Amino acid sequence: MSSIKDQTKQRSAVLQGTLDMLILRTLLYGPAHGHHIGKHIQQTTNDFLQMQHGSLYPALHRLERRGWVTSKWETAPDRNREFKYYRLTEKGRKQLQVEESQWKQMMEAVARVMWPTSEES
Amino acid sequence: MRWWQIKKRNDDLERELLSDLELEEEEQRDRGVPPEKAADAARRAFGNIALIRDQTHEAWGLAPLERFWEDLRYALRSVRRAPLLFVVAILALAFGIGLNAGVFTLLNSIFLQPPTFKDPGSFVQVYARYTGWSTRENQYSPFTTEDYDAIRDRSKVLEDVAASQGSSVVLEEGNRPNAAQTVTCNYFRVFGVDRPLIGRFFVSGDCSRGSAAQVAVLSEATWTTDFGSDSHIIGKTIHLNGAPFQVIGIVSSDAANYLPGGIFVPYTMEPLLDRGKDLLNSPDAPWLGVAGRLRSGFSRADAQAELSTIMSQQDRAYVKRHTSAFNRKTNLVLTNGSFIEDPAIRDRVVAMMALILGPLTLILLLACCNVTMLFLSRTVTRRGEIATRLALGAGRGQLARMLLAESLLTSTIGGALSILLVYRVPLLIMNAIGSHQSRFVLLIHPDWRVFGYLAALVAAATILSSLMPIRAAWKLDLLTALKGRESAATVRSRTTSGLIVVQVALGFVLVCVAVMFGRLPSLITGVNAGFDTHHTIYVPLAVDTPAANRTGALTFYRTLESRILALPGVQSLAYASLGQFRPVPPQEVRLPGQTAGHGKPVSVDDISSNFFSTFDIPLLRGRPFNSADPTSPTADSVAIVSQAFAKEFWPDGDPLGKSIVTPDNRRLIVVGVAADTRSESFDVLDGPRLYTLRDASAPGGRMYVRFYGDPKPIENAIRDTVKALDRTQIIAPETIWESLEANAEQISSLAGIILFMASVGLLMAVVGVYGVLSFAVNHRSREFGIKMVLGASRRTIFRSVTLQAVRNTILGLLCGAAIAEPGMWALARFVQRGSPLLLRGLAPFVLGVSAVLLVVVSLAATWLPALRATRSDPMQALRAE
Repeated sequence: MSSIKDQTKQRSAVLQGTLDMLILRTLLYGPAHGHHIGKHIQQTTNDFLQMQHGSLYPALHRLERRGWVTSKWETAPDRNREFKYYRLTEKGRKQLQVEESQWKQMMEAVARVMWPTSEES
Repeated sequence: MRWWQIKKRNDDLERELLSDLELEEEEQRDRGVPPEKAADAARRAFGNIALIRDQTHEAWGLAPLERFWEDLRYALRSVRRAPLLFVVAILALAFGIGLNAGVFTLLNSIFLQPPTFKDPGSFVQVYARYTGWSTRENQYSPFTTEDYDAIRDRSKVLEDVAASQGSSVVLEEGNRPNAAQTVTCNYFRVFGVDRPLIGRFFVSGDCSRGSAAQVAVLSEATWTTDFGSDSHIIGKTIHLNGAPFQVIGIVSSDAANYLPGGIFVPYTMEPLLDRGKDLLNSPDAPWLGVAGRLRSGFSRADAQAELSTIMSQQDRAYVKRHTSAFNRKTNLVLTNGSFIEDPAIRDRVVAMMALILGPLTLILLLACCNVTMLFLSRTVTRRGEIATRLALGAGRGQLARMLLAESLLTSTIGGALSILLVYRVPLLIMNAIGSHQSRFVLLIHPDWRVFGYLAALVAAATILSSLMPIRAAWKLDLLTALKGRESAATVRSRTTSGLIVVQVALGFVLVCVAVMFGRLPSLITGVNAGFDTHHTIYVPLAVDTPAANRTGALTFYRTLESRILALPGVQSLAYASLGQFRPVPPQEVRLPGQTAGHGKPVSVDDISSNFFSTFDIPLLRGRPFNSADPTSPTADSVAIVSQAFAKEFWPDGDPLGKSIVTPDNRRLIVVGVAADTRSESFDVLDGPRLYTLRDASAPGGRMYVRFYGDPKPIENAIRDTVKALDRTQIIAPETIWESLEANAEQISSLAGIILFMASVGLLMAVVGVYGVLSFAVNHRSREFGIKMVLGASRRTIFRSVTLQAVRNTILGLLCGAAIAEPGMWALARFVQRGSPLLLRGLAPFVLGVSAVLLVVVSLAATWLPALRATRSDPMQALRAE
């Protein structure tokens, strides 16, 4: 019991504002459906980032409304079923670059404050 | 995707969530969760699906719309549950909104719309304000011919400049004064009327100075009323003020509905129509209204700048040419041509619209009160449901939105229904105002202003009628409401009392308006003037009486007098200088020894010697004028004074034999005292009046004829006599009584409309009071029951309910009076200008009658609920405890 609790403690919600970037980055590998995207993010971070469905779907629909992704019902290659696949658009690709560079700047800025000596050494 | 694809989008989201849920379920199974528990596990992993759905909806950015739609659907469901209530509410609002918007449509057409349908954006009306002018100091005025010519010739911004002057002419073939417009020959083009109904419009040659053609264009209305739509009218000759004109065309009233004239003639005809004046060729006489069309690409500001330059050049030329000290300076105002933008009358138009729309707004307010009551009672019966909502976490905002949606639904449907009235009301009013107004009937076109006004009314009605229900819902006591205790009265008596007071007050104001207008016609016809109005005919004559024409004029009068006196039925003929029922500018009359400035204001009537017998005004003392009395305007003479005059100048003494001094320093000896009359204002005794003897050798004055028998043949005989002597006379003789009646008729048809509207308002007020009281009584039935158990008799209860209602009614009356009194004062002040109607004196009468009426109807409305209160069953009340 206690181990689960600890585990939960170490997990963290996706940082505010980064979810869009993560989704766009995931879609860079190719089209994927909602469940897949969520699982992917969770697994790639070794379950560190908890994907809440409650924020995943609104985020996907928001990205679609902004024209960064498009969606289409398609049959999955390995199954005989249709899923709603999200695909990155050209506009989305550009947005990903923008968000990535912003995130990098942010990280550097944070790093400079947190570990001021590390840069000098 | 757009908002109307919302359903498709919802299905899509549903499918997406479902398919991902299935995937999750599969994964759970793969992970070794037993199949029967997999579905639940998947749901747990997924989280709250409803929440996800909601949050995704938010991401679409349509959530407010969706919520509104939900509220509206809910409102529709509750309409279905209480249809009767909503029908009543909708009808009340439809009436309230419809009457307002209908009258507004009319006002809009008359006052707010520019006078052309065709490209109104390029139409400009120009108003001049000449300062430093000899007579018209700082007033808006028309343009002089020269200034019009300057504008037309020099303006580059205006591509077409028209001018016109409205006047009244006598169409001999119609024998009634007719509205006429003297217009420039491009007038119809500038006002956007492209082609005539039949015939042709003026061509520029018709307007050339010197060789102008005597041609006329008739409006469709004149053509129909005066010529029976004669299809061969073109080319025929008609006579205007005695001069022959050839009819060349008919302008349709559809296109020309704003064009004020019945008959249009070239403006160069003005000297011919307006005998004795020659405005056209007078450099100083302002008479032309100017309107034009902007060249495309130019704005009104461009025109303003250009025309101002032109006018200042004109000013300089004027000053240079005149050796006089006048230093003319002209300011211009350019408008879209609507009445409300006319700088000279804007204030009056605004005041008039406020006076008309103000009382109408009260009807809408009453309708809102009714609807409020209905919703309030619904809120109370639904308090269980509302309490449940609140308990489940609905916010106040949500609750308010829900109630607002209901009242929005009601008032929108009401507003939609009221559009029917928007089209009907203006026509009804115009028809009621009278048949001889029909030529001015405007084609009513509701436009964006009307619908904007309608929307504003709907919004106001929505908010007003939902305020109280929302407040009641917010104040709901959750605990008692959830327990479902019938007993907890949730609407304070202050609320119901307030509603009654408001409705009584509004109803009172409306009834006051109706009573006042209802009283006017009888005030006019029922007037006891103090002289005989039935057997005295006024003969309107227009005779040039300058020195040059003096002998001619004298002969004309002499011949006319003898011929009229020879007519069978005619008794006598007299002259006077003052007319009846119009304000008289007072003159200063002094006693001998008083210096100028210390006298008293007096109406002075210059009369012929048989005036008193012709008007049948009794002489109380002394003698009438006789032929031996000197009449020369320079010599001292005798005078007759009215009772009021005698009382004013010699309160105790005997007026006979006393002397007075007139403004022109004549000394007059009083030889007689005449009875007071009511000839200036309706039903008000005249102030001091001085009768002086008219110089019989000087032509002019107002001619009156006394007769016996039926007035019609005598009037016709007089008209024929005058026409036989001078064909150009503009004449329509009428007895004083007939002209009064014509006035009263117009007012009474208007009063009919107002009466109808006030009745609607009163009905709403009564229904409202009844509704509020029934509601209050229903909710206090337990209280009444307990009172009865404690020994109160049915009479006591009846009395307590009635007493409270009476108290509220009286409070309402006081509030109403507080609105009505200043309102009537404003109306009186507005009507007073140039009118003999003295409304001020009416106030006590109006307030009294209205108060009695209101008390009676509200007591009637109290009766049933009070009776019901006495029927409360004590047993039931106790059982509920």
